[in-house]
Amino acid sequence: MKKIYCDIKKCIGCRACEIACAVEHSKSKKLDEAIKERPLPIKRRKAESIEGDVPRSKFPKITEAGNLEWGIVISTGCHHCEDAPCVAACMSSAMYKDKKTGQTKHDEEKCVGCWMCIMSCPFGALSRQKQDKIIVKCDLCPDRDIPACVEACQTAALFLGTEKEFKKKLCNT
Amino acid sequence: MQYVIIGSSAAGINAIEAIRSKDKKSKIVVLSDEKTPLYSRCLISYFLAGTIDEKKIWYRSENFFKENKVDTVLGVRAEKIDTDKKEITLANKEKIKFDKLLIATGASAKMESVKGVDKKGVFPLRTIEHALEMQSMLGRVKQVAVLGGGLVGLRAAYALKNRGKEVTVFVRSPQILSQIIDKGSADIMQAHIEEKGIKIKTGSAATEIKGSDSVKNLIIDNRSEYPCELVIIGKGVSPNIAIAKDAGIKTNWGILADGFLKTDNKDIFAAGDVAEAHDIALEENSINAIWPAACEQGRIAGLNMTGEKESYEGSLAMNSLEFFGLPVISIGITKPKKDIYEELIKKDENRKIYKKIVLRNGIIVGAITLNAVETIGILGTLIKNKVDVSAIKDTILEDHFNYGKIVNIVKNSKQGFKQKEFKETTMTL
Ligand SMILES: Cc1cc2nc3c(=O)[nH]c(=O)nc-3n(C[C@H](O)[C@H](O)[C@H](O)COP(=O)(O)OP(=O)(O)OC[C@H]3O[C@@H](n4cnc5c(N)ncnc54)[C@H](O)[C@@H]3O)c2cc1C
Ligand code: SF4
Ligand code: SF4
Repeated sequence: MKKIYCDIKKCIGCRACEIACAVEHSKSKKLDEAIKERPLPIKRRKAESIEGDVPRSKFPKITEAGNLEWGIVISTGCHHCEDAPCVAACMSSAMYKDKKTGQTKHDEEKCVGCWMCIMSCPFGALSRQKQDKIIVKCDLCPDRDIPACVEACQTAALFLGTEKEFKKKLCNT
Repeated sequence: MQYVIIGSSAAGINAIEAIRSKDKKSKIVVLSDEKTPLYSRCLISYFLAGTIDEKKIWYRSENFFKENKVDTVLGVRAEKIDTDKKEITLANKEKIKFDKLLIATGASAKMESVKGVDKKGVFPLRTIEHALEMQSMLGRVKQVAVLGGGLVGLRAAYALKNRGKEVTVFVRSPQILSQIIDKGSADIMQAHIEEKGIKIKTGSAATEIKGSDSVKNLIIDNRSEYPCELVIIGKGVSPNIAIAKDAGIKTNWGILADGFLKTDNKDIFAAGDVAEAHDIALEENSINAIWPAACEQGRIAGLNMTGEKESYEGSLAMNSLEFFGLPVISIGITKPKKDIYEELIKKDENRKIYKKIVLRNGIIVGAITLNAVETIGILGTLIKNKVDVSAIKDTILEDHFNYGKIVNIVKNSKQGFKQKEFKETTMTL
């Protein structure tokens, strides 16, 4: 199936993916208006430093030695797992596999906010939307051809495609 | 081939789907003493609370049995299993043959052994029937007593508070949720629940339920009285093993199930709340009477009934709860009794945050997160894969802990993390 891959070698932790994701999942889909919305739109992708204890609240910067303070960074989100633990744990069948596309989908109408899926996701890919007590997760941007995060990524670290296509891309670059 | 499944809840339903994924033709017969299977048992407290309507409680569509070509016998109890004749006798004396049998009879609510539990207005909360009955009498209820401070007891208390009732929870032990979380986290949760108007009395228990026909009041600790019109018993569950035990199938606390979820009879499997199978953290057999374990066991037992050789890695105790906006999730061993365990705790009372990990020889075996729950699934992964986390153990309790922090561990792990998606995250490292 097609999903989003991150090339760690290229990710610099600029967090453009996070912002693009939040904006895409806002009501207005415009950054200047989105930041005024309540509840605040929630990002479903996270740039995470792999080494070092740099708090997430900080933006990445370059140290005097010329290295990224964040060290190595990975941008992650839902991996749309084949045997998805979140689906197996969901007590209301709000979380489900789309039989055609293989994506892990979420039905907000059915979600009761029990957080059993959070308890089960190995990647920490789910967030709580506290006001309505529902889960939000990567939906691969159903209104777009290319997900907002992939489009926003300036270093081409993010990639939309199948595993095979991603591996091919890695060989070619 | 004829498959028979006793019990049509989490384990039974997942078994049906697993069998049908491999065998489209053979006959499947499902037996349940509940007239309305296919609902999610975990949702009945939400239903009682009035936060979801009856439509949302269905776990599968009403055509589920038809779509999966399953014959059903509903509202009738299975009474006896004859393992020689491979035959089940129902309460209505009907007999049903099987080639492969799954016992997914789940568990029943334990009743308090206190005098007066048989009065009207005293309920456990285990089935949709219980919830409906309680709902029908809510009009004349002002005060509610909940006996027991476990998951179900507190969910019931929350539900009835949400219905505008005055609720008091009586907990025999010194803390709430004693089977699930430690005292440190329980105390924060208890204070939070009390702030929102539910009374909790720890270290106290009902000694008698009084009233002529219906309940009128409780006697607490042989001393004080508590007037109430509704009493909910939340004293945990016991597995429904009688039918297996009588048939000579090996049981202990539950039905003993092996690494393929087979019982000691080669044609009979067990799954869900009734099954005693491997526990990953304890490294011995145990019952984890939780929804995800029942689903997974049902799926694996179902596959193996069709002749597959799917092994079962084992389950982990895990629970997720939220009361009045404060969530807590726990996994694995959270209250270690022996000193071979190391405990790391981080507490921030102002933000109502509590995190704890339990380690054994550098390997994480349990975790609690309160009000900072988003990353606990990552800890569950570390527990399941039994990797040494000594190098990052302090980072785990920090706010900025996330999947990124374990990528190196995933990459360098010798035995390899089991799910295939882990590879995708480390491919470019
Ligand atoms: C109010 C409540 C809240 C819960 N919340 C959570 C939660 O948040 N998270 C979580 O993980 N778990 C939760 N649970 C536990 C969860 O519901 C169980 O772990 C799960 O339902 C177990 O599924 P099962 O299929 O093994 O058995 P069960 O759901 O117990 O189903 C067994 C079925 O078999 C039937 N049966 C039994 N004996 C016979 C017989 N002889 N003949 C015919 N039929 C028979 C029973 O009537 C029943 O329908 C909750 C439970 C309750 C009651
Ligand atoms: S939410 Fe987590 S468990 Fe579910 S499919 Fe996505 S990555 Fe996998
Ligand atoms: S929070 Fe929603 S999606 Fe997650 S397990 Fe509960 S009901 Fe399912």
